[in-house]
Amino acid sequence: MSITRRRFIRNASLTAAAAAVAPSLFLPGAKGAWGATLSKGKPIKVGVLFSLTGGLAVPEEDSALVMQYAIDEINAAGGINGSPIEPVIIDAKSDMNVYSEKMRELILRHKVISVFGCYTSASRKAVLPTVMSQRNLLFYPTCYEGAECSQNVICTGPLANQHSRDLIPFMVKTFGKKVFFVGSNYVWPKESNKNAKLWLEQAGGELLGEEYIPLGSSEFGPILNKIRAAKPDFIFSTVVGASDIAFHRQFKQEGFSADKMPIASLTTGEIETRAMGNEFGAGHFLSAPYFQALDNPTNHRFVEGFLASKYGKNGTTHYNMEETYTSAYVFKAALEKAIAGHGIEEVTPAMIRAAAAGVRLEDSVSPEGAVWIDENNFNTWLVPKIGQCQADGSFKIVSQAPSQVAPDPFSIYPDAGKCTAEGLKAANGSIRKDVI
Amino acid sequence: MDYSWVTFANALLLGLSIGSIWLIAALGLTIIYGTAGVINMAHGELIMLGAYSAYCLQTYLGVSYLLCIPLSFVIVALFGLVIERVLIRYLYARPLDTLLATWGVSLVLMQGVRMIFGNDPKYINMPQFLSSNVSFGPLSLSAFRILIIAMTAVLVGAFWYVFYRTHFGIKIRAVTQNKEMAASFGINSQRIYMLTFALGAGLAGLAGSLFAALSIVLPNMGTGYIVQSFLVVVTGGGSLLGSVAAGALTGEIQSVLAYLINDTFARFMLFILIVVFLRFRPQGLFSAGATRR
Amino acid sequence: MSSNPYHDKRCQWLMYLVFFAGVGLIPVFIDDAFLLNQFALYGVFGLLAVSISLCWGAGGILNLGQGLMFGLSAYGMAMTMQMQSQDPINNPIPPFMLNNGLDHLPWFWSLFSSTGGGIFLTLAVPTLFCLLFGGLMFSARVSGPFFAIISLALLSAVGTLVLDIQPYTNGANGISPPMPLQIFGAPLDPYSTSMFWVVFVCLCGLTVLAKLITQSKFGQIVHALKNDPERVRFLGYNVALYETLIYTLSGFIAAVAGCCFTLIVQYVSPAQFDVAFSITMVIWAGIGGRLSLLGSIIGALLIQGGQSYLGDSFLNSWMLILGLFFIVVVRFLPRGLAGLIESVLGRLRTPEPAAHEASAALTKSGS
Repeated sequence: MSITRRRFIRNASLTAAAAAVAPSLFLPGAKGAWGATLSKGKPIKVGVLFSLTGGLAVPEEDSALVMQYAIDEINAAGGINGSPIEPVIIDAKSDMNVYSEKMRELILRHKVISVFGCYTSASRKAVLPTVMSQRNLLFYPTCYEGAECSQNVICTGPLANQHSRDLIPFMVKTFGKKVFFVGSNYVWPKESNKNAKLWLEQAGGELLGEEYIPLGSSEFGPILNKIRAAKPDFIFSTVVGASDIAFHRQFKQEGFSADKMPIASLTTGEIETRAMGNEFGAGHFLSAPYFQALDNPTNHRFVEGFLASKYGKNGTTHYNMEETYTSAYVFKAALEKAIAGHGIEEVTPAMIRAAAAGVRLEDSVSPEGAVWIDENNFNTWLVPKIGQCQADGSFKIVSQAPSQVAPDPFSIYPDAGKCTAEGLKAANGSIRKDVI
Repeated sequence: MDYSWVTFANALLLGLSIGSIWLIAALGLTIIYGTAGVINMAHGELIMLGAYSAYCLQTYLGVSYLLCIPLSFVIVALFGLVIERVLIRYLYARPLDTLLATWGVSLVLMQGVRMIFGNDPKYINMPQFLSSNVSFGPLSLSAFRILIIAMTAVLVGAFWYVFYRTHFGIKIRAVTQNKEMAASFGINSQRIYMLTFALGAGLAGLAGSLFAALSIVLPNMGTGYIVQSFLVVVTGGGSLLGSVAAGALTGEIQSVLAYLINDTFARFMLFILIVVFLRFRPQGLFSAGATRR
Repeated sequence: MSSNPYHDKRCQWLMYLVFFAGVGLIPVFIDDAFLLNQFALYGVFGLLAVSISLCWGAGGILNLGQGLMFGLSAYGMAMTMQMQSQDPINNPIPPFMLNNGLDHLPWFWSLFSSTGGGIFLTLAVPTLFCLLFGGLMFSARVSGPFFAIISLALLSAVGTLVLDIQPYTNGANGISPPMPLQIFGAPLDPYSTSMFWVVFVCLCGLTVLAKLITQSKFGQIVHALKNDPERVRFLGYNVALYETLIYTLSGFIAAVAGCCFTLIVQYVSPAQFDVAFSITMVIWAGIGGRLSLLGSIIGALLIQGGQSYLGDSFLNSWMLILGLFFIVVVRFLPRGLAGLIESVLGRLRTPEPAAHEASAALTKSGS
């Protein structure tokens, strides 16, 4: 009696487990598909989901502004196949719960065909379950750590494998072998540091220490003490947000100088330097695909046009903003391709994503120079550049990669498999969808 | 990472600096809580107001940084006075409600500042001589941190003097110990509470003007200080001496644990230690009022 | 005894009936997946408000760290859902662990491999935690503002820890299970009517339970010790035990809310441990009326609904409005909106204020 019951329970749980490993059968049904259609001449609704208030507003508000600028620019030039883009702009209030709620609102209620937004990985993870179950599309316009293979994201920023690839060898060659890693305590800095260690090893450098500061903390005393004791030749920083500003200020106040021990950062761009005061940023280095100071006609047009527009009140352009700007043009190119292939009435977010594979923005469109979307993992081929902050807060480009670098979200986890358009393909040929 | 006595001594020195930062943040709270029993959740936002006052004074009026510090005290003390007169004075009999009402005040202050100054961080320029590092043999500390330690020592001294050597101090202590009895001796407790609240707010403003130079000025910068300050006050027991001891102790523990393990874990351990300590000594290190808990 | 219908038990139960019948009719009139999901989420906030009202309103224990129980169970549910999407043979470990250098499943994660066990732990861990922590604190006679601050410190401690042990929790990124919870092979779609009913049953059931408890002898003793713990102690009651039990019950309700939360949003992060979120829960109960369970729920609905809808039109001033509103309520309506209704009803029935005062003093238990 008891045996049969136990067996029954075991069978039942096995059934449940079997059901769980066959996700495609049990995905939320037809309700999950995009519930609207486009038609010629009618506005194309897209979501714009950034934090306009709260702690994340400093970089994100600028992204929301540049997104509106890009949409105005596209609409002024005739829209997409004659249809204007209509942005639905929602404030995520720097709160992960609000990101998740507002993403549901954008997709289910406003029935947008794609969403541009999110800055931190935490917010991306907060919205992804919704984007995935509703089969929509997120354009994620900033750098991130990779190690994700989802069918619903297109990223226009650099991955960890592209970001520090040139920076570390450059710093080792210019300043010396000994380096100290400082980062904010979350996933992106840790993953970036794993990549940086690979480049460091290849360049023959030596890692003296690795420290993480709690997110939002501004007390760098203990970490600076460790740096003082370790005496590195340079510092590799993945500190973000307000902490980054506190870090640079305390660095100088504690008697360190950029001439003797520069900080090589993946985050400290024009916005951050403006916020901390130029004297605290001067002399340090940044690796990014875009700088306001890039000298090419497209960038001049972008900077002048944006700063003169009603959105350019803050007086700066920044790598995040440029990546947001290019994402709008990737969307345009992909949607045009999808419409040409399927007809405007039939287009769904999934078709836009499929059409985005290999989409190339020429240097006449993209201020950072030509970029294209990888056909397998839907991240961006781009040219990482190294800039040094000058006394006036602008950056001088001191080095740049000779050509576009391939994005590889699983570069440090080769055993996990390869990210393909269908999902993460393991060595034995099995494919897993939605690895997040 | 090598653990030598020099780096350990540096960690101790830094602990002193962290402790003094927490203490100066908690000083105003100690006085308000110790005297009137008001749990002022807007204390962090008063610190933020101090930082913004220093920013405005320096940016728009060109006041030198060292002068900004006492002026921030005055400005935020006036703010405190207004808050006390408009709201807090009706709530002295309801300590839990003051906690809630001042939380409302903190929302208003934070959003008000955000609407006026925007979300982007502001910063303050400090004089060149503070932007350096002072070495004592192998030990070193930035000049600005030394200024904060000195400032904290001066303020603690001043408040000890005011509390224990002046007529006003006698009145405050009388009201703290027994309000009704003090009233029967002709002490106007409402007035004492009002002045205490303004004083505590002013101290928060002063702390804010110091923190502004240490890191950055943001509308939400105060939220980071409030939990920390409360722990110092509660661990100390609400008295000046208790807060001094609690500030020094928690600062050293944080610094040493951060040195030995890491910063985040140090924070976690510190919180846990405080919870355990309060379990066995809920009245804190040195209790202010004998009856208040 | 009382002439104020607010204190009449029959009237109170009638109000419960009207309220829950009204909420139960929502799916009949609303066919919008987003709104249905949104109302389910409001139900979760309502549960949290009930838990605060029980602890603070009925028991007099102001808990500024209720997010701890909520967060722990939200994580438990997320772990259960994440484990459902793992294949025990080919793919036993959640992807984020691989990236954090773990090559085997940690023991406490493997406890969540079975759905039933996972849900059990999700509810049991926070509840047991409350029992232990509450027992320790209340036996030391920690109370009032001190308990509030200690609960705040504990919340910050756990939040910091969850951020720091990234290989096990994915740090700041949190856990986003790729699929909804499967019960016997069928998914509980967060956008479906069934999700709404799950939350509705929890909310209705637990609120009625809480109401019955406050009306029982146990509830009377808890009510008495809120007003004068010393006197209750002299009468021979074990005050710490009563305080611990009401605190634990409130923690259990918050844990149920945490479970439902993850089911609805399919995501959990250290943001659940934010101090501000826990204080927001107290604001709901404070504005709605902490002495009234129903009032607290309505407070949560008003504020969260306002945040979602008005928050977008008053983008910049919403927090300002909320703060001012809250100040006004604390200053003039210490018993919240429910207290306002109480005194309005009292005035209607008893013109002489003296009689009203007397009856209010006699039956302060509220609804």
